[in-house]
Amino acid sequence: MNKLHVLPAMLIAALVALSSCNKDEEETDPTPTPTPSGTVVVNQNISQNTTWTSNNVYQLGGRITVLSGATLTIEPGTIIKGEAGTGANATALLIARGGKLVADGTAEAPIIFTSVADEIKPADIDAGNFGSPNLDPTVNGLWGGVIILGRAPISASSNNGDVSEVQIEGIPTSDSNGLYGGNEAADNSGTIRYVSIRHGGANIGAGNEINGLTLGGVGSGTIIEHVEVVANQDDGIEWFGGTVNVSNVVVWNAGDDAIDTDQSWDGTLNNFVVVAATGHSFELDGPEGSYQAGQTIQNGTVVASAGGRVCEDLINVDNNSIVDLSNIHFTAIVEGQRLNNVTAAGVTFTNITFDVEPANLGTYVNGAVPAGITAGGSSQANTSVLGWTWAAQSGGLDGL
Amino acid sequence: MKSILAALLCWISASAIAQNGTIRGTVIDDASGETIVGAYAIIPGTSYGTMTDLDGQFNLSVPPGTYTLQINYISYASMSIEGVVVRFGEVTLLENIRMKESSVQLVTVVVTAEAVRTSEVAILSMKKKSAVMMDGISSAQIRKAGDATAVEAAKRVTGVSIEDGKYVYVRGLGDRYSKTTLNQVDIPGLDPDRNSLQMDIFPTNLIDNIVVSKNFMAELPADFTGGLLNVETKDFPEKKIFNVSIGVSFNPQMHFNSDFLTYEGGATDFLGFDDGTRALPGLARSQAMPTPFSGASPDEVNRFVRSFNPQLGARRQMSFLDYSAGISFGNQKVLGSDDDPESTRPRLGYIFSASYRTDYKFYDDVIYGEYQREIDPDITELRYATIQQGQLGERNVLVGLLGGVAYKTQFNKIRLTAMRLQNGESRAGQFRIDNDGAAVGQSGYIAESDNLEYNQRSLSNLLLHGSHVLRDSGWEIDWRISPTISTSDDPDIRRTAFTLTAVDTSFIAGAGGNPSRIWRSLSEVNAVAKVDAVRNYRFRGREARFKTGFNQLYKAREYEILFFDIQFFGGQSWPTNDPNLVLSPEYIFPNSPNRIYYQSGNPNPNPNAYESNATNTAFYVSNEMNLTSRLRTVLGLRAEYFVQRHTGRDQRYASGDFVNGRRLDNEKVLEALDLFPSVNFIYSATEEQNVRFSYTRTIARPSFKELSYAQILDPITNRIFNGSLFTYSDWDGNLTETRIDNLDLRWELFQERGQIFSVSAFFKRFDNPIELVRIPEQQTSTEFQPRNVGDGMLAGIELEVRKSLGFITPALENLSVNSNITIVHSQIDMTDREFNARKLFEKTGQTVTNTRQMAGQSPVVVNAGLLYTADSLGIEAGLFYNVKGRTLYIVGSGLYSDVFFEPFHSLNLSFSKKLGKNRNSAIDFRVNNILADRIETFYQSFDASPQPFSSINPGRAFSIGFSHSF
Repeated sequence: MNKLHVLPAMLIAALVALSSCNKDEEETDPTPTPTPSGTVVVNQNISQNTTWTSNNVYQLGGRITVLSGATLTIEPGTIIKGEAGTGANATALLIARGGKLVADGTAEAPIIFTSVADEIKPADIDAGNFGSPNLDPTVNGLWGGVIILGRAPISASSNNGDVSEVQIEGIPTSDSNGLYGGNEAADNSGTIRYVSIRHGGANIGAGNEINGLTLGGVGSGTIIEHVEVVANQDDGIEWFGGTVNVSNVVVWNAGDDAIDTDQSWDGTLNNFVVVAATGHSFELDGPEGSYQAGQTIQNGTVVASAGGRVCEDLINVDNNSIVDLSNIHFTAIVEGQRLNNVTAAGVTFTNITFDVEPANLGTYVNGAVPAGITAGGSSQANTSVLGWTWAAQSGGLDGL
Repeated sequence: MKSILAALLCWISASAIAQNGTIRGTVIDDASGETIVGAYAIIPGTSYGTMTDLDGQFNLSVPPGTYTLQINYISYASMSIEGVVVRFGEVTLLENIRMKESSVQLVTVVVTAEAVRTSEVAILSMKKKSAVMMDGISSAQIRKAGDATAVEAAKRVTGVSIEDGKYVYVRGLGDRYSKTTLNQVDIPGLDPDRNSLQMDIFPTNLIDNIVVSKNFMAELPADFTGGLLNVETKDFPEKKIFNVSIGVSFNPQMHFNSDFLTYEGGATDFLGFDDGTRALPGLARSQAMPTPFSGASPDEVNRFVRSFNPQLGARRQMSFLDYSAGISFGNQKVLGSDDDPESTRPRLGYIFSASYRTDYKFYDDVIYGEYQREIDPDITELRYATIQQGQLGERNVLVGLLGGVAYKTQFNKIRLTAMRLQNGESRAGQFRIDNDGAAVGQSGYIAESDNLEYNQRSLSNLLLHGSHVLRDSGWEIDWRISPTISTSDDPDIRRTAFTLTAVDTSFIAGAGGNPSRIWRSLSEVNAVAKVDAVRNYRFRGREARFKTGFNQLYKAREYEILFFDIQFFGGQSWPTNDPNLVLSPEYIFPNSPNRIYYQSGNPNPNPNAYESNATNTAFYVSNEMNLTSRLRTVLGLRAEYFVQRHTGRDQRYASGDFVNGRRLDNEKVLEALDLFPSVNFIYSATEEQNVRFSYTRTIARPSFKELSYAQILDPITNRIFNGSLFTYSDWDGNLTETRIDNLDLRWELFQERGQIFSVSAFFKRFDNPIELVRIPEQQTSTEFQPRNVGDGMLAGIELEVRKSLGFITPALENLSVNSNITIVHSQIDMTDREFNARKLFEKTGQTVTNTRQMAGQSPVVVNAGLLYTADSLGIEAGLFYNVKGRTLYIVGSGLYSDVFFEPFHSLNLSFSKKLGKNRNSAIDFRVNNILADRIETFYQSFDASPQPFSSINPGRAFSIGFSHSF
């Protein structure tokens, strides 16, 4: 019987020894990267009212969220730079539902969101040089983008509207600050004026990137005007439902679509220029739920190819899309580019002009040429109010 | 150690003077199938005699001649075995000497040596008297059927079904409720996505037996519910073995096919591991990974990009046949002096086995689909979001090595076994991806993707095992110490997808995505120490048995994913869409037009890395006794104290937000002390019939991966797994164990020569079952999370028949059927969340109810076999059919319908023939998947045509093998 007691005791001793081999993990906390003076590294969510001032450069160290109840005020002329990364490592500024962004720049002192790779300094803004001193306007995917989420209605996938909130593209579902949608049409997410967003659009997974400016369920109380998106790896501006109106926009060298709408955005895009997107210039989707609403897109000019960059097609709508398109001129059209799906009942065309030979107009339309689309025409955008943009300063809007 | 050395010396001297022949045998209780310790084996009228050891085995050295061997044991009828021929220097083996308890009529049983040799294999009688409901297959049966790997062998066990060609499930219960042990100790599964161990890595020449226990007993681990499958490796050969085998297999669809897809690997791929060709470039891990804006010079960036393997495309090359080879040898030697009594002389056994296998698989029509429901209640058909269709080539190399020594005296045995398995799988695929922009959350694109993958796995196991019979006290002690180290690495998974538009071809991040590569690594250590003690005693004059034991398990895992993608510093321009040209020097930064550099997707610390460990301390007591001559009872109680700890962090924490981010540093995520009762009654209605009843309680614990912050993106399907620690509006992040109550009732009838008929009924109640749930909030990508869902239950019946057709007409004596059918009804009570999500998508004419079948639970499992055995001709042939009913695979939600496994009708034929005068050669021929069925999972929705989630065609395979024993 003695053996019986000794054996388990020996085994226990051996096991205890094994168990205590349990590794002490040396998890290195991220070492703070040395930053140039005047640079403020932001690593935490913004939970109370905060102001970023133009004498500093703010460096986004991760996906920074302005939480519900907090307002982030950014002074005119302030530069914000996102650290480099892709996937889980992507940086972005996310305004959660109930949070506000007041980024109220001026034509003389715009607010610039860019990458840490961009050497632009506050002094450049002061001197009136708003372009990047070192990056081409085609360099994209260096960081995420700006995401604004609100409580305005969306048409998400349900047959009775009960699913009124969904997760925004580009943010993993494990972050509940990525939810958007609601019933407050007049919801106010703040003011975005004279803001230029550049070199973003980091990849989360195939087909899942961050747009330059993402507007999810943003309400009509929000002011968005004078916005430029340059070289975003995904779409330039994408709306997911909401009721906000947006005007005076430049989307330059988008890596995917330039103007992308989903889930019944019920607002107006007025006065815009789109130059050389890689995907669709317009990707206009219909409602995904029973809530049916549509948008108006008017007074704009689209440059369908430039500098070797060619957009995939001119206008792409779904069968259930609801959109009124008027006074839009397409120029620099190349062979193969088309207006797709002209039979969607909810889509109207008024004074849409293609800068092509009238005899060839049919080859640029997938199907019969609908009323409202003609060959010829001239630029429709009022570029005089877009002079502050990098696109205009570098001559990218010349002749429009 | 000293004594082993001394023993070795003796062995050498002993061999030198060997002039006799040897009789070896195993003595078994005919009723229970258990070995008899201390039985006498004598040759009447001579001084030759010995006693059986703790394995019931004896070794008797006698001069050449023909003898009558007599076996005696108290209260058993003596047995005389006539015509035992002993030749000089050879071993005469009597593996299966079955003794019957004596009765008045039965004093001595007389049999011939030939009859002993050909009697049935022991597993069935084990089954007959076993307290646990079990089934199994022995090495002899495996040999007969000619199975190459443990998977093929396990398929023959009642109620077992095989998934993906490598995972073994019992009674149709899913992976979560099955468990695999090796030599009765826990070993880690190699696939982080699975609980059970893949069985295709065990070549059969290493296996002594495979036993499946279908109900829990106190001495077994409590974390299985469907079945516990134990693989026992060989230890002590009865006689000298030296066996070689070779085999080839031909699949007309896959082999000598010039369309086969592959890619250039390393020089050691043929040995199942990578030689460093796919290693991560050193700088890639560094915080200062060179990028155009990291401060590195353009030249440094250029060199860094060039340090990655430039091969991104699959290439076509003719595939070869599957081929395999194996060698095994072993022997035992009697130590000590010839003058010592035979029974006191220690014996040393050794065994070594090596096996090698290379398989080529080519799937010429693979489909991965993502489908959605329509919002309109009048439209029932599903519509596609993404369809990937293409071809996939695989080359799979498996190397197995096993070595062991065992030292045995009459009542003590110690063995040491070391095993190493190495497996390398290289995959190359080409797919066309069609994404429909009209689908919810999708942007619409066409892309062509090349995927290159390599998975290498290894398992190294050491087992030190001792068993001792303490004759005086009646105790038998068995102890085992077994550490295992396993790894599973995916070095350099490459995905390169050109997006095709009407105007050009390039990489579009918002469409087909940028080229990406992934390094994934997993390593796990398991250490088990256990001791079991058994005491046989008599209760009211009848046999009884008390068991107690202690089991300590420690396991720890490290897991990491590193992700990199190609970026273009500016625009792109491609002359062709050849993925192998993408990393041409002229496209690498700073060279225009493409200016390629790599961007890191890995914050530091990495949210996609975790370390977990668990300890399980178990203690049990169990008592088996005969209440009456017909009624036996086994009552047991097991206590397990289980603690699981996790080190990991979410993305917020990883990105530097130490306030809002969450991080666990070796913190307890699971801790419980559970008691697991086991109540069994076995009523022997007649000698041939048993009625069994049992009640047990078991547990299913979440895995390391499930209880983590890991967010694992599958680069090929773009599907994302989220660890359960993340909280959602309807999920609190607290994943708990599933506790299961089990009731089993079985009637079984045994007939001569291993014929059996049995009917079982079982009922199980699941408290907090865990299922993989689709996350409805995310519509762009496909995300899943394991969650506790509503309570569940299942009820089933199982029929088994193993019957010779000789009862129809004697001409069919050699034909037998071996079939079993399991039919299960399972039910989960939906949570309100799930019910409401389903209700939202209720179609016109449909009524959504708040119950459904359990995920992973097959409603029907059928195994049917028709066997032809002609021992006189050395022929064994069989036709086997296996199918599993339509099984819920992924629980749908809202927009997304449920995904089901479609039944895969597997029909296989095997034929083997022994050749040669001594029948020491064998040839076998097999045809697998005669029906050429596809392996498919489908989206299913009310009144809608099923749409593919995944679909592959395994084709029909012909194989031939040859083995020879020297």
